[in-house]
Parts: sequence; structure tokens; C-alpha cells
Amino acid sequence: MKKCIKNGRGKNKALEMSRSFLFWLGLAFLFFSSCREKNTLEDDFKPTPYQIDIPFGFPTKLNIPEDNPMTVEGVKLGRFLFYDGRLSGRTHPDSLMSCATCHRQERSFEAGVDHPDFPGGFPHGLSGVQTHHVMLPMINLAWNLNGYGWSGFLYPENEMPYFRNIEDFVRLAVMAKDEIDGDTSRTKALIQSIPGYPELFRKAFGSEQVTFTNIGKAIAQFVRTLISANSRFDKYMKGEVQLSQSELNGYVLFTTEEGADCFHCHGGFGNPLFTTHLFYNNGKDSLFTDPMDRFLVTQDPMDRGAYKATTLRNIELTGPYMHDGRFATLEEVIGFYSQGLKPSPSVSPLMHHINDGGIQLTPSEKEDLLNFIKTLRDDEFLSNPDFAKPDKFPDED
Amino acid sequence: MMVIFIAALFFGSACNKTEDPENKAGKLHLYFQHEIDSVPIEFDTLKYTNAAGNPYLVTEIQYFISDVVLYRNDKTQQLLDAGEDIHYVDTDLPETLTYKLTDDIVPGTFDSISFTFGINEVKNQSQLFVNPPESNMFWPELLGGGYHYMKLNGKWKDTGDTIRPFNFHMGIGQIYDTATGEITAYVQNYFRVSLPNSSFTISNAEELALTLVMDVNQWFEAPHNYDFNEWGGMIMQNQAAMQTARENGHNVFNLLKNNSK
Repeated sequence: MKKCIKNGRGKNKALEMSRSFLFWLGLAFLFFSSCREKNTLEDDFKPTPYQIDIPFGFPTKLNIPEDNPMTVEGVKLGRFLFYDGRLSGRTHPDSLMSCATCHRQERSFEAGVDHPDFPGGFPHGLSGVQTHHVMLPMINLAWNLNGYGWSGFLYPENEMPYFRNIEDFVRLAVMAKDEIDGDTSRTKALIQSIPGYPELFRKAFGSEQVTFTNIGKAIAQFVRTLISANSRFDKYMKGEVQLSQSELNGYVLFTTEEGADCFHCHGGFGNPLFTTHLFYNNGKDSLFTDPMDRFLVTQDPMDRGAYKATTLRNIELTGPYMHDGRFATLEEVIGFYSQGLKPSPSVSPLMHHINDGGIQLTPSEKEDLLNFIKTLRDDEFLSNPDFAKPDKFPDED
Repeated sequence: MMVIFIAALFFGSACNKTEDPENKAGKLHLYFQHEIDSVPIEFDTLKYTNAAGNPYLVTEIQYFISDVVLYRNDKTQQLLDAGEDIHYVDTDLPETLTYKLTDDIVPGTFDSISFTFGINEVKNQSQLFVNPPESNMFWPELLGGGYHYMKLNGKWKDTGDTIRPFNFHMGIGQIYDTATGEITAYVQNYFRVSLPNSSFTISNAEELALTLVMDVNQWFEAPHNYDFNEWGGMIMQNQAAMQTARENGHNVFNLLKNNSK
């Protein structure tokens, strides 16, 4: 019996060994086939680096996060997502909203005072809630090293993750009541379900799995390609065109302390971004009630009423002006700097005409200054097909 | 075979070469402090009074120094970091308050140190700096180009008790034709700062730390009392004011010796 049992055990053991062998063989097959599949995927994931051509005089330091290098495939995907209304996570025609709903190329990627859905250039979200501030320029953002937003609340060194860069702005825009008023899960699920997108995600990020992190990365990559550096002023500095006498007079006013003294905050030939990307109280008010000024970030009382100095490139097209859109036209803005300044303890010392109410320009000086500022319009940028809405979305091929 | 032999000899001799422990190069690290009346500045606080009796506050100070030279007690001198010898200081940016010069310094005793306040005319060319924060210091082409030597921004209280902004900005000056208002010449306003009573020793392998202390009040006194009520808040196009500042600037800095490594 014992022997029998023993024999029986031996037989069973042989059977077990045989089963075990098959089990391990199968597992090995699965493992290797899985590896082969993975290797195939990895081998296939070779995105093409996207090189930003730095225009003459522009900074060489760029704000591109290490975990989101620019690639041709990422930019291509980002452009689709930037323009696709299904970024809202919804498909009903009334509920579509994308970045491009507000950020219009013909208005240098701002709404503009003539936006058909946002009268006066004051955007509101799908919920109907108006944005707290008007829009900021969405050009040359790769050179912004000092924080995004009017208060600069998104900055790379921020201790709070998700509040550091353009990638995070995408997430905030999708979730904000005054913008897309959606949720990231719904958006990524919808994008995942749209034929063509998973393949684009695979090419850009190595996986067909749509994640909201990668949605943000792709859109941020596209936004960083929106470079405007070929205005008439740029061509003038390169000797390609001549400016009119009025425009040249305006340039002198722009870059002299005893003129309009715009250059300390808004740059010029030595700072062709036409902004320092810093924050100033420029004398709009004497009392401050906005909880989202620079004080929000620094908690420094001297930052009450301070906001980011915006680039003046394409400024002709991007009204209304100031953080609250109080000025509809550039004429009003120049009028404010000329005669409308209000003193306060936190006003920037660079506003050295504050006690006179402004720089006191004559009508002809105002006209000259305006004419110079209009030389910063970059028509090539405004019609660049690389920045335009794609002819077809991925599921329309 | 001969080649191998020579190579072996060369490498062998290289390996046998020993450093002279008595003569290992040192380094110089400069630190920057900004004071008024020997106390670190409390920015944005109207608590200071200059020699002309103007109550004032300071918002920020931004400036360049360049061409740091050490003078040995044997009367020889050494220009440090000649290739990258322009340093930007910004009271809003703590990382700019340290200037680690990279050149090796043969140990020894030094009588003094000097540097250029601003940038000399050879180097002070537009587009020298394309990156911020230095690029934000650009000086308009029309006014001579290049870069501000300094932006000292703040506010003062005038004789009528009104608080007014000042932009004590230095750079290339202009001479204007009084009849036409046209610019007829430019003036280089950079200047050398020598700290004659600043003897120090750099020992073997020492990283000597020295602190350059700017006393802001010195900009406004000795040899000239600088009165904001007289000069007003802006001086970029006022060569007489910049000349006054330039002459006062020689006494603005003094030297502190820190603990070295």
C-alpha cells in the first residue's frame, strides 16, 4: 500500500510535473510574448524632438518642464486638443468648449473685444460664470520665467503641485466654473473614445492610454510653439522696412524716461519680449479689493494692486486692457497713462509721474505712441497655418 | 617601440608629478550686503533720511559690477575671470548676492581690491545679455544703448510732505544741444571703486569670502549732497545728476572679511 501509495504518489508527481512544466511553459510564453509586445511598443515610441527656433535677441532660457520635452508628435496632438470642443468632456453642440473657444488666433490668442460670444472681450464659462479677470496674452509663453496668470500664481518653484506651469493651467481651465466647468475624468474618457486620439497619444507619449496629465502636456507643448517675433518693428530693427516718422517719434517716447517711459516694464530692443514678466502696481486705483492681485502670491502689502506687465506684442488686437478689462481701446490706455494715474502706498516707483496724474502727453504724442505700439502687430503670426485650427480632427480622417 | 617608450616616460613622469602642498591656488567669493547707517536695509519703509534731509525709502537695488582686480603687496595685480567678469546684483534675487569668481589665485597677501561699478564701454553693448534678469537692465539705444549700471528705486517725501517716486538710474549719459534738444555726445559714467584699506591674505587652497557692503546713504552725500527736491525723481536723461551720483559712488562700498573655508 505504502508502495502503491508511493507509486501512486510517483505517478501523481509525474503528472504534476508535467502540468507544472506546461504551466511554466505557458507562463514563459505569455511573459516573452508580452515582452515582445512591450518591446515593439517601446521600439515604436520614438518621438521627434521639436526645436524652438529662438528669434533674434530673445532669451535663450526657456520655461519647458523637464518632464515634458517638446516633440513634433506632442505639438501635433496638442494642436488637435487645443481646438477640439470635446475637451469639455461633452458632445452636445451647446456644451463644446476648447481653448480656442476663447483663444482666437486672429486676436493673438485672446478673445478680443469683438468676440461673437463674449461681448467686449469678457469671457464666461459653460456655466455662464464670467472669468474673474480678462485674458492674458498667450504668445511667447515659453519665455515666461516669472509665473503665469495676472498674479503669477503658477510658477515652477511652487510648493503646491498642479500650480506650476502651463500644463496645470489646462487642468484648471477644464475644471473651472468660469471656463470649461468640466471634470478631468469625463474629458479623458471622451478623448479616449474618439478614434484616432489613442494613436496620437501613443506617438506622443508612448501609450494609447489617455491621461489628463498627457492632455495637459500636449496642449502646453502646442502653446509653447505660439511665437510672435516678426512684427513691423522686428523688421525695422533688422533693416527690412522703414517706420514712418510718427512711428519713430512714438518709439522715442516709448524708450525715454522723459517721454512715455514704457520700456522699464514693457521692454524694447534690449528686451524684445516687450515685457519683463514682472508685477507692478501701475496706478490704476487707490483702494484695492481684488483678492487675486500679486498680494495673493507674495502676501507683501506692497504688492497690493500689482499685476503682471503684459507683452505689448499684438496688443492692438487683444483688448480689453488691464486685469479687469476696464479699457476697451489702446487710446483709453494711453489716456490713462497720460492723465489718469492714481497714487497709493503700493504704487510702483517706476510710475514716477504719479503725482502729476500721468505723463501728460500731447494729442500728437499720444498718436505717435499709439502708432509705434501698432508696429508690434505680427501679421505673419496671426495667419500662420501651423497655429490654425486643423482641417480635420483625428476621427474625421 | 620608441613611441611607446616616450609615451610611457611621459605618463610616468606625469603620474610622479606631485602638487606643491605649500602653494595650492585659492579662490575669491564676493558677497553683497546693502545697508543704510550700518544696518541692513528695511525695504519699502520710509524710515531713512539722506544728507540733504530728504526722508526716503528703498524698494529695490539692481546693479552690475565688473573687472574685479586684486592688488598684491608686491605691487602686481590680477584681473579675475576676465572672460565672464560682469556680475548682476539684485536685492530681490538672493542668488545674485553671491559672486563666486572661478579664477585660481596664487596664495599671498593683498593690499586691496577694486572693481568697475557698471560696465566699461567695450563690453557695454546692446544684446550682450539676452536673458532676464540682466536683459531687463537694458538702456535704450537712443540714450546710448547697453545696460543700466544701476537701478536704485524708491520714494522720497518732498518739502510739501508728498511721497514721490525716484528712479536713481545710472548708465551712459547724454549731452544735449540746448537749442535743438538733439543728443550731441554720450558720456561713459561707469567708474572704478577702489578699496585701498582692504588688505587681506589668501592662504593655500583657501576660498576667501569677502563682503562688499553698499551704504545707500553714501550715494546722496560726500562729496555732494544729493537733494531729491532739486534733482527730481528721474535722472536717465540728466547727465549732471548722473555725474553727481558717479562722484559720490566712490565712497559707497566698504569691505568686510568673512569666515573663509
